[in-house]
Amino acid sequence: MNNQQSFWQLNKAVVLFALVALTMPLWFPLINGYSGLDTKIMIFCIFLVGFDILLGFTGYLSFGHAAFFGIAAYSTGLMLKNFSDNIIPAIIVAVIAATLVAIVIGLLTLKRTGIYFSILTLAFAEMFHSMAMAMLQTWTGGENGLTGMPTPMLFDIKMQGSAVFYFTAIMAILLFYIAKRIERSPVGLMMKAIKCNQTRLEYTGINARKYKLLAFVISAMYAAIAGALMVVYEPFVGHEFLGWHQSGEVVIMSVIGGVGTLVGPMIGAAFMLYFENVLSVDLGEQWLLVLGLIFMFVVIFMPGGFMEAVERIKKRFITTADGE
Amino acid sequence: MPILDIHQVSLSFGGLKALQNVNLKIEQGTTHALIGPNGAGKSTLLNVLTGMLKPDDGSVMFDGKPLLDVDSYDINQLGIAKVFQTPSIFPEMTVLQNVTIPVFAARDGSFRMNMLEGYTKQRPLIEFAEEQICELGLKNHMHSIAGSLSRGDKRRLEMAICLANKPRLLLLDEPTAGMARHETEKTIELLQSMNDGITKVIVEHDMNVVFSLAEKISVLSQGQIIAEGSPDEIKGHPKVIEAYLGEAQV
Repeated sequence: MNNQQSFWQLNKAVVLFALVALTMPLWFPLINGYSGLDTKIMIFCIFLVGFDILLGFTGYLSFGHAAFFGIAAYSTGLMLKNFSDNIIPAIIVAVIAATLVAIVIGLLTLKRTGIYFSILTLAFAEMFHSMAMAMLQTWTGGENGLTGMPTPMLFDIKMQGSAVFYFTAIMAILLFYIAKRIERSPVGLMMKAIKCNQTRLEYTGINARKYKLLAFVISAMYAAIAGALMVVYEPFVGHEFLGWHQSGEVVIMSVIGGVGTLVGPMIGAAFMLYFENVLSVDLGEQWLLVLGLIFMFVVIFMPGGFMEAVERIKKRFITTADGE
Repeated sequence: MPILDIHQVSLSFGGLKALQNVNLKIEQGTTHALIGPNGAGKSTLLNVLTGMLKPDDGSVMFDGKPLLDVDSYDINQLGIAKVFQTPSIFPEMTVLQNVTIPVFAARDGSFRMNMLEGYTKQRPLIEFAEEQICELGLKNHMHSIAGSLSRGDKRRLEMAICLANKPRLLLLDEPTAGMARHETEKTIELLQSMNDGITKVIVEHDMNVVFSLAEKISVLSQGQIIAEGSPDEIKGHPKVIEAYLGEAQV
């Protein structure tokens, strides 16, 4: 047996994701997906992979990640509008801004666990939401949202149509690869140990608090990149980017896809967005009801989400192949 | 110089004096048992040593360094590990992953941001973890999920976790509680076979375990040390009999 795993074994998921993502403009229209939705799916893949580093690895359920998504979106919008139409400085400033906020919120909220942590993160996000609606209205545009940005540019390339798609898809692939690397690193091991048994971890010489903060900040950075890309994709920032609905949607996508698997939440995001934007047209007004039923079915019968279904099918195939 | 020096430690929970002016010196390399009736303060004392509880008064020195006001993980990094009454492991992880964590804790300290290094690729560290697992007789469970092990094997795994970052002092809180006779005997054998100079402090109700392992025994009653000595001295000590059986039987 070879102990050193090959490049293919280690990076199978990333390679498959890259193939699916980069060919998306070819096959997505065949299932009635319109162009633009594929970009949005890529953006939410980034958001969800990052979110899984927090929820999936450490088990801490944040109900406030819209804060980082929204802060980054507003920062990007303001940078594009007032500084330069180049997206690179805008994205960098957005990520730095959200990261700083995440460090402060993380330090304050991670003192608590379980429902108390979730409520605290929700409260912070709602604070930012109401700030955007009132206090900072002159900057954020309040109810109307932030508009009037020039067409975002990547140096000389206009960020429209397929340029935006490939830019976000490459970012998504890269960030998924980084998440996979983190998962395989000692840091990933410690983060997962937090979910298993935090007391034992502390009694094994590990500063769980710092690893939790690291997971929180990394996931916030992913959310920030997603938020910034949302503005590159569509030069508009609405206050609902910061809203609790946005935070909740991310949680639902994670659960449907399979918490802790990194791939699962991305599938969850793709499924939800596809459902909301494509299938909802066929289902008419009842689409939310159907979505609710699907969510209930998944939680009751497949608590591991879509990934559990995949694993079950895999297992069945392997056992029948071995058995006969 | 004793490896652990507990000096005048007192701790109250509201009106209950859990520990009253406890003085205890543990000599390097010995196995020291803490016994006493229920509620005597044995577990409380262990919790003070691991940083879980802060005493109201007194001092604790480990190897010449003060232990109070040090966080649990730093206490572990100094060389104190604890075996819990109910085996405390990482149930969703494999046995190998369970033991890999302390190995990395020993190399990297309490926190290190090495996110891009593959932990399975660190062969010498993984091999060391595998050795620890084999030494504790869990070779066949190397890749099993820790939560699926039997109670006795979970205890072995917990010992492997504790020993993997080479502690100098091992605290054992009723290591045989709730175990069947043969499992208890196995645990005694396991502890006896550890002739690696690790100092052990063991809290135990089972006198068979205590007299098989301890070189020295301290008896706690109502938060105070009432007797101290070799197993033979303790066996016939009138205060000990009184504390356990009540005055009527003396």
